[in-house]
Amino acid sequence: MKKNNSIAIQLTNISKKYEIHHEKPTLVEKIIKGKNEVFWALQDVNLTIMQGERIGVIGPNGSGKTTLLKIIAGIATPTQGTISTHGRVVSLIDLEAGFHPDLTGEQNIYLNGLLLQMSRKDIQKMLPEIIHFADIGRFIDTPMYTYSDGMKLRLGFSVAVHTKPDILIMDENFAVGDETFRKKAMEKIFELQKQKITIIMASHWIDFLKQNCTRIIKIEKGIVMPSK
Amino acid sequence: MKHRNLGHFFELLWGMTEKELRARYKNTVFGFLWLAINPLIQMIVIGFIFTLFIKDPIENYYFHLFTGLITWNFFSLTFTKTTPSILNERTLIKKASFPRVVIPLSIVLSNLINYFIALVIFIIPVSFLGKLTGASPAYFMIGFFMLACFTIGISLLTTALNVRYRDVNFFVQAILMVWFYATPIVYSLSQIPNDLLWLWRLNPLTSIIQIMQHALIGSAPPDPLVFASNTLIMLIIITLGIVIFTKESNFFDDWV
Repeated sequence: MKKNNSIAIQLTNISKKYEIHHEKPTLVEKIIKGKNEVFWALQDVNLTIMQGERIGVIGPNGSGKTTLLKIIAGIATPTQGTISTHGRVVSLIDLEAGFHPDLTGEQNIYLNGLLLQMSRKDIQKMLPEIIHFADIGRFIDTPMYTYSDGMKLRLGFSVAVHTKPDILIMDENFAVGDETFRKKAMEKIFELQKQKITIIMASHWIDFLKQNCTRIIKIEKGIVMPSK
Repeated sequence: MKHRNLGHFFELLWGMTEKELRARYKNTVFGFLWLAINPLIQMIVIGFIFTLFIKDPIENYYFHLFTGLITWNFFSLTFTKTTPSILNERTLIKKASFPRVVIPLSIVLSNLINYFIALVIFIIPVSFLGKLTGASPAYFMIGFFMLACFTIGISLLTTALNVRYRDVNFFVQAILMVWFYATPIVYSLSQIPNDLLWLWRLNPLTSIIQIMQHALIGSAPPDPLVFASNTLIMLIIITLGIVIFTKESNFFDDWV
């Protein structure tokens, strides 16, 4: 694949501000009250992640882990600073999102693949593998509302890992159904790791990260702590 | 959130449109027939009641009504569905970074396809009326194009604003009730007194519906002044829609 030691993600002076809205604001309130309260979820984050690194992001609830992951995934836009990512970023958070209950498994694979920036041709090529890995069997041409939760998660996971991601984003407690599939899923992730893809996972458990990551980033109150 | 490439953008847009089309009439007995049944019922009811009141009758009134109704139904259905669409698809917004605009656009596109099918079916009775001329297809295409652009523009505007200000959705529902009567669907613009005509110059749908009626049943085309001011307002709304949507779409995740 690509060369070693090339930069996968570069964050420069990233800050993210959220407006606190205790209730959903209405147009009238906005006009009357003017500015909202603000909250800085990330402050001046500088981070360079090389290709093939396995990054663990640790920090208490509300420390900015999710915001950081969202910015890397391109889902949220930073208030200040610049970010550049190289390659396809795929997140394993919210695996079932984008599935439509009235469409069949196969139709949903296409839709989900397209949303994850795969081309129709690539999806077609990967289709047997995606179906096989998800272990959906003869349910593949039935509408998704007939699927169990586990089947939906399996299919979501299978599509996500077959998109040929360059950067994979995951949460510690990503749920992929039963124990057997969880093992299979972890094996798949380790297999992807060998292909030099970059992995970023967020967790509260330092032990889990120490076991699985090459570098740990500590984040507290929106600030990235200097590494020891 | 750059569009990585245009080819993929259209593949995704079409994929989402297909989803809209497939999901809509799933598990219904009449399926696509509902496209024609709804405006037909409206046409019969409104036609029956209004012919009791209107003094100088409009030529081919039921055709006039039906043309207006299917066009209006396309617009109001699309507009009510696009406005809250980002909120309805919040799980998608939180999952991946694709061009957000495909969400409202796929709704417009799927409804445009439905509208087009309804029009094609409607052409059959219209052709017996004998009002179609060589220029009809050209007018038809102009009207269709204007309607598509206007619906996209105004949808982008309300879709983007509704993410932060949820009042917009209610505002849209309220204004649609008024808008229906502010558009020459059940009446004809020739019945409007001259000193009130400026009101219709503010409503872009006036010209669009008049062009459609002109193309299909040969009624008078829009007056140049009405057409000019309608087009100007349309362009302003479309520009606002594109600018605001482009700016806001980067921050949809913050608000859903």
